[in-house]
Parts: sequence; C-alpha cells; structure tokens
Amino acid sequence: MGISNDTREGAAFMTLFRRTNRLPGKDARRDDNRPNDDADVPPSLQHTLDNFKDCMDLVHHAFPEINVNLVYFGHLVGAEELSRDVTIPLTNIRENEVQALLTRNQYKLTTNSKSLIKGILNGEAAIFHNDNVYLMDVYKPEARSIQQSETETVITGPHDSFIETASANLSLIRRRVKSSHLKVIKLEVGEVTKSIVYLLYIEGIANMEYVRELTDRINLIEIDAVHDGNMLIQYIDDFPNSVFPLFSTTERTDTAVSKLVAGRIVGILDGSPSVFSAPSSFFEFMASPDDYYQRWATGTSLRVLRFIALFITLTFTALYVSVTTFHYEMIPEALLLTITESRSKVPFPPIYEALLMEVTIELLREAGARLPTKIGQTIGIVGGIVIGQAAVQAGFTSNILIIAVASSAIASFVIPSYVMSASIRLVRFGLIIMAGILGDLGIALGIAYLVVHLSGLTSLNSSYLTPVSPNNFKDWRDVFIRAPFWALRRRPSQSRSPNLVRNRMKK
Amino acid sequence: MYKVLRLFLTVLLFGIVTGCGDQRILEKLGLIQTTSYDIAPGSDEDESKQKLLISVTIPRPDSGTGTGSGGVNREFLTAIAQTSKGGRVNLSRQTELQLVSGQLRNTLFGLSLAKQGIWEHIDTLVRDPSISPKVKITVVNGNAHDLLAKNYPFHPRTGQYIDRMLEKESHSQVVPSTTLYQFTKDYFDDGIDPIAPMIKEAGDNVKIDGVALFQKDRYIMKIEPKQALIFAMMRTDIKQGDLNVDLSGQNRNNEHVTLSSLVSHRSVHVTPHNGNFRVDINIKVSGSVLEYIGVLDLENDKDRSTIEKLVSEYVQANANEMIAVMQKNRVDSLGLGKNIRSTLHYAQWHKMNWPDTYQRIEVKFHVNVRIKDYGMFTK
Repeated sequence: MGISNDTREGAAFMTLFRRTNRLPGKDARRDDNRPNDDADVPPSLQHTLDNFKDCMDLVHHAFPEINVNLVYFGHLVGAEELSRDVTIPLTNIRENEVQALLTRNQYKLTTNSKSLIKGILNGEAAIFHNDNVYLMDVYKPEARSIQQSETETVITGPHDSFIETASANLSLIRRRVKSSHLKVIKLEVGEVTKSIVYLLYIEGIANMEYVRELTDRINLIEIDAVHDGNMLIQYIDDFPNSVFPLFSTTERTDTAVSKLVAGRIVGILDGSPSVFSAPSSFFEFMASPDDYYQRWATGTSLRVLRFIALFITLTFTALYVSVTTFHYEMIPEALLLTITESRSKVPFPPIYEALLMEVTIELLREAGARLPTKIGQTIGIVGGIVIGQAAVQAGFTSNILIIAVASSAIASFVIPSYVMSASIRLVRFGLIIMAGILGDLGIALGIAYLVVHLSGLTSLNSSYLTPVSPNNFKDWRDVFIRAPFWALRRRPSQSRSPNLVRNRMKK
Repeated sequence: MYKVLRLFLTVLLFGIVTGCGDQRILEKLGLIQTTSYDIAPGSDEDESKQKLLISVTIPRPDSGTGTGSGGVNREFLTAIAQTSKGGRVNLSRQTELQLVSGQLRNTLFGLSLAKQGIWEHIDTLVRDPSISPKVKITVVNGNAHDLLAKNYPFHPRTGQYIDRMLEKESHSQVVPSTTLYQFTKDYFDDGIDPIAPMIKEAGDNVKIDGVALFQKDRYIMKIEPKQALIFAMMRTDIKQGDLNVDLSGQNRNNEHVTLSSLVSHRSVHVTPHNGNFRVDINIKVSGSVLEYIGVLDLENDKDRSTIEKLVSEYVQANANEMIAVMQKNRVDSLGLGKNIRSTLHYAQWHKMNWPDTYQRIEVKFHVNVRIKDYGMFTK
C-alpha cells in the first residue's frame, strides 16, 4: 500500500511537472493547477473549505444564530483588528441587522471564488452571509522591528533600514517622500508564493518608458518563488550571464529615496529587505550615502579613495605575479633584494603562490561570513596569524605577496556594495591567471576585455557605463568626485528624466 | 553547451600551461648590477687580437658563504672572451642562475680599453632592449676588474656603492651623469664629444677621479676633480654645487673662499671672424659664501665686490686653461661645434673639417660671480 501510494504521488508529481513544462508561454501561468479554482465559480463556503482542505491553520468560525460564517488565517490577521472590525460587530447584533452591517463599504462584496481565496491568503477575513461573501482586510503580519542595516553602515546619517515586510518598507519611503507624485505599482511574482512586488516612481521625474519596461519584465517572470530582491533582479536584468550586478540593491531607506528623486525606479519585494533600483550604472556601486553627508571635499576624497581601491583590488596581486614571473626590470633597486630574498625560500612559482594565498583569504572571508560573530572573530585571529606570520616563516609564501593579497582584500571591502565587491574579487582571479601566463601583457588584455565587456552591458536598456560611455562630463561631478551641492544641478543623465533640474541653489 | 565546454577547457588550459613560455622567475635570475670591461692581461699588442676581460657583479641575498661588504653578499663572475656577448655565455657557465641585464645600473671601462675606444661595447648594450638607456657609463682610472672585484668593508656592496656615489656626486655637479642614452647621443651628434665620470681605487674606498673626455669613443684626457665644477659650469647651467677657491693664483696670499649653493647660467655667442670663429661664453654665477679666510671684510660692500672679482678671475683663468688643453687635444666636450653649426647652413658645416677648425677657433670666457649672502652672523 505504502509503495503504491508513493508511486501514485510520484506519478502525480511528474504529471504536474510535465504539464507545467509543456504549457506554452504566458497563458500557462494564468492556468492554475487546481481545476475548481476558476474565476467563474460563484463563491461559496463549501467551495472555499474544499480549497483549503488539509490547511489546518485555517480558522472557521460559525455564528449559527445570525447565519454567518467567518473564515480567515489566524496568524495573518491582527487580533485587535479582527475583534474591532469583525468579531465584536457580529456578536452584538441580531440576524436582521447583519445585512445592513455588511453593506457598509468597508466590507467588500466578492463575487468570484478566485479573488476570495486570494483575499484569505492575503490576510483578509471572509464573512459568509446567506449567498453573499464579504472580505474585510485585517492583515497584520509579524514583523521584525526596524533596525540598522548590517551590510551598509554609515557613520553619520539615518540608520533605519528596510525590513522583510513590504508595507513597513513602503511606509518608510512614504514618510520620507510626502508627495502625491510618488506612485506605486503593485505586481505579483512567483507562481506558488505569489510574492508582491511594489514598483515606486515619482511622476514627472521618472521616465515612464523605464516604468513600462520594468513592469513588463516583472510580468514575464515565470518562477515558483522569488525569495530576495537580489534574486529578483537576476530574473529581470539585461545580461544574466555577466558577473556584474546590473541593478543596484540597498537596504537603506535614504539611499532608496535618493534613487527615487534621481528619477530611478525603486522596487520592493515583499519578504526581502533588499530594495532594488533601476536603471543603474557601474559607478553607482562606488557611491555611498556618506559621500553626501560629509563636506564635499571629504566626500570627493572618499570617492577617489574608492576608485584607487578598485584599482588595487583588481591589479595588485596580478602585478606581483607578473613582475616576479616576467618583468624583473620593473622592480626598484631598493626593493629588489627584499623581494628576491623572500621569494627564494618559496617552493612554488609566483602564480601558484598567489592563487594559494588568494584562495586562503577567500576561505577565511567565507568562513567568517557563515559563522556567528563570536566564532567569526576567532577565525579572523587564527587566520591572521596563520597567513600573516606562519606562512612566511615556513617559507610557504613571500611576505611581499602577503602585503599584496591583504591590501587587495582590504581594498575590495572598501567598495560599498557587497555584491559588486564580490564580483570584482572574482574578476581579480582572472587577472591573476592572465598575469601568470602573459605577464603585464596579460593584465592589459584582461583589463581590456573587462572594459569591452562592461561597455557592452546595459541596465534596463541604458548603458551600464554611463556617464563615461556615452560620455557626459557634467555627470562626472557626481560620479568620480562629489562636487559641492550647488554644482549638482541636474539629475543623472541615465535616468532620462523629463524634469532634469533638481537644484536651484545659488553659488 | 559546447560553448560552456569550450570555456571550461580554456580555463583548464590556463591552469595547465601556466608556467610555460618565456618566464623569468625572479629568484632564478642572476640580476647583473654592474659589469666591467677591460683588456685581458697578457693580450696581444695587436688590437684586433686582443681579448676582453668581462666581470659582472650580482647581488645575492641568499648566498651564505661570501664575506661581502656591508653585510650583503654578492656573486662576482669573470670571463675572458672575444666579444662582450660571447663573454656572457662564458659567465653563464659559472652560475646556477640565469644571467639577465634588465637590472644593470652601471658599466665600468678600464682606462686602457677606453683609450682604444668603447663604442662596440656600448653598441651591444644599446641594442639589448632589456637594458635601460639610463645605465651609467664610467671610466676607471686603472683596472676596472680589480676595482669591482674588491670588497670595500665600510661600504655597501661594491656595485651599489659606486652607483650611489656617482648618483650623489652628479647631483652636486662634480661628475656628469653620463648614461647610455647621453653617451650615444653625443657620440652620434655633430659637434660634441662624449664625456664620462672617472673613478679610481683608493685603498678602502673608491674615489671620484674627475671627468674623462672622449674624442668620439676614445678616451683622450681628463679633468681634475678640483676643476670639475668649473668644467660643469663651462658645459651647462648648474643649479647646485660647491666651489673651493684658493686665491694664491690671483696674487693673494693664504686666502681661501668656499662658495656654496652655486647657480650658474651660461650663454654662448658665436661670431664669424675672418674665416674663423670667435666664441664668447658668458657665465653668470651666484652663490653664498660658506667660508672665507683672509684679510678682507665680508660685511664691507667694497671688499665683497673684490672677492667677487677675484673669484671671477679664478674661474675664468681655469676655464681658459682647460679649453686650451681641450683644443690642443681636439676634444670638443663643451659642444661648441653644435653652437657653431647652428649659425651655418648644413652644406657649410659639412664642408668644414670641424676637428681642425676647432683647434683654431678663438674661445673667450667671461665670468661674473655674484655673492648672494655671506651668513647670518654680524660683528
């Protein structure tokens, strides 16, 4: 019996799988797996209860004396909301008053089964009276309190960050943008999970073409579930095979709002604190809100520092490999003996030595990220001693390489976006290997390939390398430096805003 | 699918073939720091049959046996060969390292070789793309091999010691900073002859021994170290330098002046003069008095201008003396030919036999020394 049951279930599962696969295109999505879930079926208590068969967390509350049935999910609704809007009014009336109560317009009359079921799943309470069904929104999900972002900290500036509840995130943005021009589009993603995506834009500032394009792309997603904003953007980006993130994500409310007023579109996925914005450029990932909260000179030097860090993290180890393997002429005389001396004890060629250390650093970083903070610290100390001291003393690596590897690791963490920083670290390995094969020529080829690749990328059909390609010198003042605010008069060219001027401040 | 496979294979290939190709892994290289050229001892008198004595010094931090000076060890290799690259093969047989010249800093030429001409060796150096055009050329008054072979116990590694000393001294204009590039340029340029610093061994030290003057690529004469600064002022503008003047030549007894922070500016005027040329070289010098011993009073304006006059005369006398010797030896190290050439059409210049004309031209130095300050102290 058990075996046959398993086989049957397996077969059913396979059929389901095959069917979903076979069904072509968009219409397939609209076709739900449950045959009795059609829109034209009139809503009824029995039909609803059949639908939620075996859902033991469903609450069914009957009021036989007034001929009312109440159906809802207890953990989706707020106890206070429920008793205030549903239970208390229903317990204190007689049957002939029920109809009058329910025609108040806060109770929504529902005429099809599908929206009824969707309503219940979205935390509404369904009230069955005679043949009519009314829905009352009493949704109040459990939510984490608003805390400081762990991945994007700033020293000065707002510390609140998004949480997993979309409504809370929306309220955080609404609180900061008190304008009726802030428009919200509600979309749904995930065939099983039905996660809600809100697209936010400011009317008159955002380019509606981008809004339409983004809406279309999200509507085209066919997937069972999307769990995070960073995952969502991979379904809608222009080049899924590129290592670089094509839309920037943030957990910071101030960053999200700044993207909005710059004319970009912001997307909130329910259940994820990562809010994405589109379109994005490569250089956006190098900016931190700190740049704007400090004086412009400080902000500018921080920007410049980050670009230096980008360069260091990409090339420093590769340069070590190419110099010690091919270009001994490049070493300054004062450094020559030190490098030769520490290299002379190492049994591997420079390329393997460098890859070994880089992998070790990545191991440490990954271990540190997975472990709880307290153990993570221990890992850091152990790793620091092992890599810093013992590896050199044991003649495993040269100490100049330790400096190169450590400084490029540190430099990689200077890049504010974690996703971008991880991409850059991956690219670095390619450059190291190229340096080991062809020396400086290899590094030059690698960087050339990188630049070619980057210039081919687009984000929501706009160039990823804006404002360098296509060039727009006026934009540079908010990309490579952070010019004083009086000079930042226009919104970024990438957002193609119909309303370009953002600042009328006098010098 | 094939695309992915191809990509994977490419990446795999990168991992496997790494280590092939024209690699120069640092610790396997013998980085020649200084090389010296001499005529091999006991060679034939006939120049064409003479052999070269080539020596190289290689810094070796890891060789434990040597008793190198300054605490850092070096490897010293010597070979006798017909040509300099032939010598390289010979040297290579003596070491486990791959000899490379990309870190070459200095080349030393023994005096006897320099007298025969050094162009063919310079030519080999210039042709090698791994050798920097900034490599120094130095003439050793004596045997270059012996100077390089010796360890100087109170100084860094011999090669580095010489290199750094020349570097420092060329800053204060005692010796010219002659590089491969400079030498080649002067060698091929019309109307100028190359020069090079000269050093010699002096017990536990190596000593600057003036400036070697070449005619084309043959060593002809040298400028004494005490005249070297004046020679530098005759040749070019200087921005730094110290000059020690003994005024006994100007009929003053026991009077000495030391000028420092010298800044000089020279201008050359060429006048055609009955089929010959007259060259006037004005040198304006200003500096501070570092030391004065004698009867005059530095704070007195009149006395100070006397000192200025005496120093001017001293410099002028030295300059005239030097140019006379240079003209006699037909070495145009000041590049006066270039100044004259620029006043002529090329055909005229070409027709003229410059080395002969050089001997006959009239060269006059006009020196004007000005004392900028004379110290903080007042009586």
